[in-house]
Amino acid sequence: MATKTVEFQVTRNPEAGMDFRPAAGPIAPVEPDLDSEHMLINIGPQHPATHGVLRLVCELDGETVVRVIPHIGYLHSSFEKLGEYRHWNQIVPLTDRMDYLAPLIYNCAFAMAVEKLMGIEVTERCKVVRVICMEMDRIFSHLLWLGTTAIDIGAFTPFLYAFQQREKIYRLHEAYTGARITTSATRIGGMMADLPEGWTDGLKAFLDDFPKTLDEIDRLLTTNAIHIGRTQGVGAISAEDAVNYGFTGPNLRASGVPYDVRKDRPYYDYETYDFEVPIGEHGDCYDRYLVRMEEMRQSVRILRQALERLPDGPINVEDPHISLPDKTDCMSDMESMIHHFKLITDGIPAPPGDCYFPVEGSKGELGMYLVSDGGPKPVRWRVRPPSFVNLSVIPKLAEGHMVSDLIVINASLDIVLGEIDR
Amino acid sequence: MSDQQKNPFEIVERGPAFSDRLEVAPPPAGGAEDAHPSVAALRERFPDAVRRAEVSAGDQHVVYVDPDANLEVLGFLKTDDAHHYDLLVDVTAVDYGGGLPLQVVYQLWSIPHRRALRVKCELPLERLHIRSVTGLWNSANWLEREVFDLFGITFEGHPDLRRILMPENYAEGHPLRKDFPLRGRFSRAEQTRRALSQDPKDYYIPEELEVGGAPSLPEALRPRTLEDGSEG
Amino acid sequence: MGLNRDAQGEAGAAVTPAGAHGGHRGGLFGGGGPTFLTTKLDFIINWGRRNSLWPMPFGTACCAIEMMASAASDYDLARFGMERMSFSPRQADVLICAGRVPYKLAPVLRRIWDQMSQPKWAVSMGACASSGGIFDAYSMVQGIDTIIPVDVYIPGCPPRPEALIYGLMMIQEKIRGETMDRRVELRAEDPYAAGAPRATPEEIAGLTGPFGNSTHQNQGSGRGPKDRVHRPADRIV
Repeated sequence: MATKTVEFQVTRNPEAGMDFRPAAGPIAPVEPDLDSEHMLINIGPQHPATHGVLRLVCELDGETVVRVIPHIGYLHSSFEKLGEYRHWNQIVPLTDRMDYLAPLIYNCAFAMAVEKLMGIEVTERCKVVRVICMEMDRIFSHLLWLGTTAIDIGAFTPFLYAFQQREKIYRLHEAYTGARITTSATRIGGMMADLPEGWTDGLKAFLDDFPKTLDEIDRLLTTNAIHIGRTQGVGAISAEDAVNYGFTGPNLRASGVPYDVRKDRPYYDYETYDFEVPIGEHGDCYDRYLVRMEEMRQSVRILRQALERLPDGPINVEDPHISLPDKTDCMSDMESMIHHFKLITDGIPAPPGDCYFPVEGSKGELGMYLVSDGGPKPVRWRVRPPSFVNLSVIPKLAEGHMVSDLIVINASLDIVLGEIDR
Repeated sequence: MSDQQKNPFEIVERGPAFSDRLEVAPPPAGGAEDAHPSVAALRERFPDAVRRAEVSAGDQHVVYVDPDANLEVLGFLKTDDAHHYDLLVDVTAVDYGGGLPLQVVYQLWSIPHRRALRVKCELPLERLHIRSVTGLWNSANWLEREVFDLFGITFEGHPDLRRILMPENYAEGHPLRKDFPLRGRFSRAEQTRRALSQDPKDYYIPEELEVGGAPSLPEALRPRTLEDGSEG
Repeated sequence: MGLNRDAQGEAGAAVTPAGAHGGHRGGLFGGGGPTFLTTKLDFIINWGRRNSLWPMPFGTACCAIEMMASAASDYDLARFGMERMSFSPRQADVLICAGRVPYKLAPVLRRIWDQMSQPKWAVSMGACASSGGIFDAYSMVQGIDTIIPVDVYIPGCPPRPEALIYGLMMIQEKIRGETMDRRVELRAEDPYAAGAPRATPEEIAGLTGPFGNSTHQNQGSGRGPKDRVHRPADRIV
């Protein structure tokens, strides 16, 4: 497996101790006999640094975090219950409202899981188009993480740079799907539509321009003394603990575990793309930052290769029981019209059984678990939410750090509340 | 299509589905297969606990395990070097409705062996508790809390079994059960009234309120805690 | 997109006849109606207010991302005097509720609204905040106007940044029409209503009933009965 350790361009923070916790500073720690009382501080649910409506209740000793108790559910929108009332294709619009930072990954993951359950093999062109969609949205999501995390650390400029690039992806989204965020691009057995003419040129232009901006942000942050001071040695977790706590995605790889669903459980010929999986070694906020920066570069590599190999041909499977017929045919051809009517009113029945399908989302392993009893609607639609599990580690990561470090740790986990609460 | 030609009002009168009566056909069992090395090992080592095994969606192996033996089986799968499922990917539950048992589903993945396994435990509706696996994997902590919240399955030995997504004093039941109507059991006006009439003390759990040398918990707050939250 | 607020009917009318309103009827010259001085003063105050609106971004979901995009360089809310996103409700003028609001979050929203000082306005951004959107389910508030008074509803899922900017400009337009003469009427607030729903139970029942596609949300899958419909009468009240 081609993995790549992130090269550190700077030396580690000399003040960090062996366990990557900050060593005691020049100010002596408060003696216990001062009889100081612990204090309760409530952060959120409406707070700009919680990246959504997360609520953290902290027990503080002075400014040191003794205990953090996260409270979630402030954005519980009952996706999974709603899914039980909808046909397979009707669930797609729900998926992109779940993770609004990387909607296309969610669209694709859901469609892929249903196709796995039904045993549908999509066309070659569809595979490559979905790879393009997913890698583009990995960049899309990491950019937002980069901008907001930089704000939390105290750097505002990367936010503006990142959003300039995000606007370009917004435009690509819009050119393809008609929506900026809520894309709903996939259908069972294919995509909503084929790529519009000239779309790949727009993507190529973005790929030429984007690494420059990334390098610019890189220069602003990677060797920035304040950034290093705020992130190195903060929120460190060992590889063993990271696995035990269920970390996946960039957070896990920052701890040095080279688990990437694209490499370990490859789908859509990811094994034939030439890319590396960056891994860190310390598992702290700085390594998570480095891993995500490198992942964006690797995504650019994958996108270039995918654009090169994008084959011609149909994008939807040619089975009238799965794919909608052409609209023109519906108006002129009796059989197409019947198929259209049956597909819309009855949906696509799935064979009884269950199916768990993981993809590498931008935040970690995104699994779709579907249970069918033979009907056109799921009995149970379960999303394995990567940031839900990642967030559950925050009490362990933040313990013993300062309150300001808690904000950085929370930002470095790259959470999205829509998917945590579902 | 034949269903839709019936009188629509008849269906309205029938109301929501029942959890205690059989209305839908039971889920069919797939063909059992022991091709998976862990499944074969489990059959050999826990012949009584393994109820059946099947292959789902082409290549996904599922083992049905006696719920009383879940901790032993999962502990073996985690610690044995030949299997070593070190990543507990997901814990969830499935309600088929119609009085069928609820399934607790564990998705396992072994990073060194690159192998996946799904373990299911079937819980009859009158006995919805199972032992917690938080001692084996810490990632089970929140996942089990979520199952408890949305399905009402109690995990014995869980360190902090509270509602996680719904409010602590949510009184309408467990939303992902099949007998729970989509829009909730109360009217919208009642739901709004309940949401807004929350005491600020509802926002904190008892341990939090004890921070800062608060003497002891007011008696009024006690009923909200663990045991009582199960049928809240 | 429409202007709507129960307390005030005729937004946009700069000069209103005296005696039409109870409450405050002062004037520098003359007996109680608006005069040259008060209307000039109104103009100056409204000009200042509408060009230095400080938004309180109550962002929860997808719409919050579009709100961030509006604040970033391409759309640049600062052009409207709104670059200071005020994360403290005490120093904010306009509440932008962007995204879906579950019942668990409802008391938070209400408290933030109560904490904002007058004069204040509320914008409901997106389908979910305005009506519950596609989430007609057990955990979701069906429109924040059951909880707080809303001035401008912005449709869209999520609305584009242009739509948000247009909505905020409608707030500005609304401010332009305000007058001191109706100060009490426009800005009166019942301190005992803090924390309570804005709408009465009957209003909530009327506002939140299933409509459109959500009446066709049939239960379940597969071989179960396919056409079970939940109507309000099904529910235990």
